[in-house]
Amino acid sequence: MPHPIPGGPSMTRRTALALGGAGLLTATLAACARGTDTRPSAPGTVTLNSDNPTWGPGYDAASDVLAARIGYRITSRSIASVANYNQIIRMTAQTNSTTDLIKWTNGYRLQDIARADILTDLNEVWDDAIGRGWVDPAQRASFTYEGKAYGVPLYKSYYAVFYSKRAFAENGIDVPTTFDDLMSAAQTLKDAGITPFLAPGATTWESEIWFMQLLASLDPDYYAAVTTNQASYVDDPARAAMDLWSTMYSDGFFSAPDVTSNDLPGLVSEGRFGMMLYGTWFANTLLASGLTDDDIGFFRVPPHASSTAPAVIVESGSLSVPVKAHRRDAAVDVARNWLATDVQEAWVGFLGDTSPNPAALPKSDLVKDLAAGIAAEGPTELIRYWEASPTPLVEGNVQDLGSFMVTPSKAHGESTLRSMEARARTEWKIWDAA
Amino acid sequence: MTLTQPPVPQEAVASPDDPTRASAAPPHRPRRAPLAGAAFLAPAVALVVLLLVVPFAFTIYRSFFDDNGFTRSWVGLDNYTAMFADPAFGQSVLNTFFWVVGTLLLPVGLGLAIAVGTWKLKLGAVARFAVILPYAISGSATAVVWTFMLSTDGGLDTLLRLLGLDPLVSQWLLQWPLNTVMMIIATTWQATGACVILFLVGLQSIPPSTLEAAQLDGASGWRLFWAVTFPQLRPMTIVVVGISIVGSLKVFDQVLLLTNGGPGTASETLALTMYRETFTLSRYGSGAAVAVFLTVVVVAASYAYLRRQLRPANG
Repeated sequence: MPHPIPGGPSMTRRTALALGGAGLLTATLAACARGTDTRPSAPGTVTLNSDNPTWGPGYDAASDVLAARIGYRITSRSIASVANYNQIIRMTAQTNSTTDLIKWTNGYRLQDIARADILTDLNEVWDDAIGRGWVDPAQRASFTYEGKAYGVPLYKSYYAVFYSKRAFAENGIDVPTTFDDLMSAAQTLKDAGITPFLAPGATTWESEIWFMQLLASLDPDYYAAVTTNQASYVDDPARAAMDLWSTMYSDGFFSAPDVTSNDLPGLVSEGRFGMMLYGTWFANTLLASGLTDDDIGFFRVPPHASSTAPAVIVESGSLSVPVKAHRRDAAVDVARNWLATDVQEAWVGFLGDTSPNPAALPKSDLVKDLAAGIAAEGPTELIRYWEASPTPLVEGNVQDLGSFMVTPSKAHGESTLRSMEARARTEWKIWDAA
Repeated sequence: MTLTQPPVPQEAVASPDDPTRASAAPPHRPRRAPLAGAAFLAPAVALVVLLLVVPFAFTIYRSFFDDNGFTRSWVGLDNYTAMFADPAFGQSVLNTFFWVVGTLLLPVGLGLAIAVGTWKLKLGAVARFAVILPYAISGSATAVVWTFMLSTDGGLDTLLRLLGLDPLVSQWLLQWPLNTVMMIIATTWQATGACVILFLVGLQSIPPSTLEAAQLDGASGWRLFWAVTFPQLRPMTIVVVGISIVGSLKVFDQVLLLTNGGPGTASETLALTMYRETFTLSRYGSGAAVAVFLTVVVVAASYAYLRRQLRPANG
């Protein structure tokens, strides 16, 4: 039978299928090959995986100093989705596809993966850093599991109130030094038509912020106890905190709970921003959005009663070294030098935040003044709620707190605490049994 | 099924005993035929087994373990009993049920109404284009737009205040079940276009003669639709409803982006519960148990529906 379409040589269906199949096979094999991100890095570099894609220039700045100190630079790569990042680290840190360094959190989230014996013991690094005065020894506990430290502080942030200098000046408000001052400042702003506190958290991790802060202001010892299973969520201090939070809501001190922190710069320019309790790491975002030290100031939430010891919530990330790192010794060396004052100056020069090394200060006066105040007063540093208890307990309780923020009645406060306590009983049993 | 299958040549299905083919057909199938058939099937079968069957079997296996990604210990059916005892799971099943009902009522119902109502109109194409346009937008982008619309003091609240309808101003995404209803409406805005397209294809496959005959007999309007048009749309309706049921049972992206399942776990669906257990809490065994439950529900619903709808007319 003649070919229906006369012409030159044409491709038969079989050839097309064979070519397609071969192409597919090649693509599959290529996909199975190891990517550059998981191969040993170039000589003189160590790889770092992180969930923050914007920190690359900061690692570069710190690398310039590290290279001069130890001859190694950090090559950073990142996975922007926190959930994806967590899973990728949990999988790759067990294999030799891991990067040499990983960014992780401290506290129970660090303990959770340290239990699997996938991280290098950095006790010697801590001894060295403490001996040189590069880090506050009190921070060590939140990086330690069963006597071994599994990371060094990658950064250090405090939770403080960002406030509009313009709104404060226009309404004759001084920076509050007592809790009553804070409440009257909020009332003054409200009377002036400004929502006193921008408070996101309906469906995000941010619902923990006011809960942990009110506990820290009311009873810092109780906060430390309840987060480590030494106290109950239905004890008096927690009830007092929820009552106070509920009262502040009924006084109209908070924004709707589905706002976002990114609304802040816009509200400042419209003259509608008052205050927001948040991590100092957010200062970098604000400065990048064009705000300056003249627009925004910081102050710590004062203790609820003058008899209560001052306390501040601290957030920190961990720089950890997987056991299976290709350049493990070099990575440990980078961790050892990470807290050096000159490295930290370069690092916080980029971050615009406080440093785990008290001698390294950022350029921005905004954070510098806060750090100086903390250094002078020496408040009790409390680990942020997100890292202060086992992950499933925190995640569940944060959802409960978000739900409370949507319906902030006193009755809902009570039922929220009961739910948190019930979850605590279950999750601590699971944690202790593991 | 006739929609997707090309017509089968008569000679390919004719019986070997057919006397008209007796002289031309070989007396028996060549020995190589089964082997060649197997060889052609092998790549597809291997891919399905490797990418679908094996992971699913592993998911079932994993659901019987307490698994945190590092260590794994056998717990039998504990993950399933814990799942059914969890009030959040009950809420998740209820929300998923809302999504199924909502998706059938709104995108499918509206899609059918818009397709039938506009396909013979002069400017129908313009109306259809307006409805179909959001279908070109990705689910994530849709969620971002609707977050802007539905957040407190967002687009919708501002509009209501502008119209003097202040009492209607609500926390659209923060109160259950309002948030689930609003998310279904947001999905309707995006997904109705797909249903319209499918129903239009179905309408164009209806022989005009049947409609003309019905009109000659005096049928029009609702009667024409219900007695003549809709029955002839049955094959396409089966497809659209089937796709919608499966899609709504596994709804994920809109809920994740609009409410993250919250406040609390109030608006969580089964897919989100599975995600939270697996990727937020790193409880792979519990997540696998939810995945198995979801798969059983999807397969059972699809099987029950298609078995009923695709039953042969004389069966």
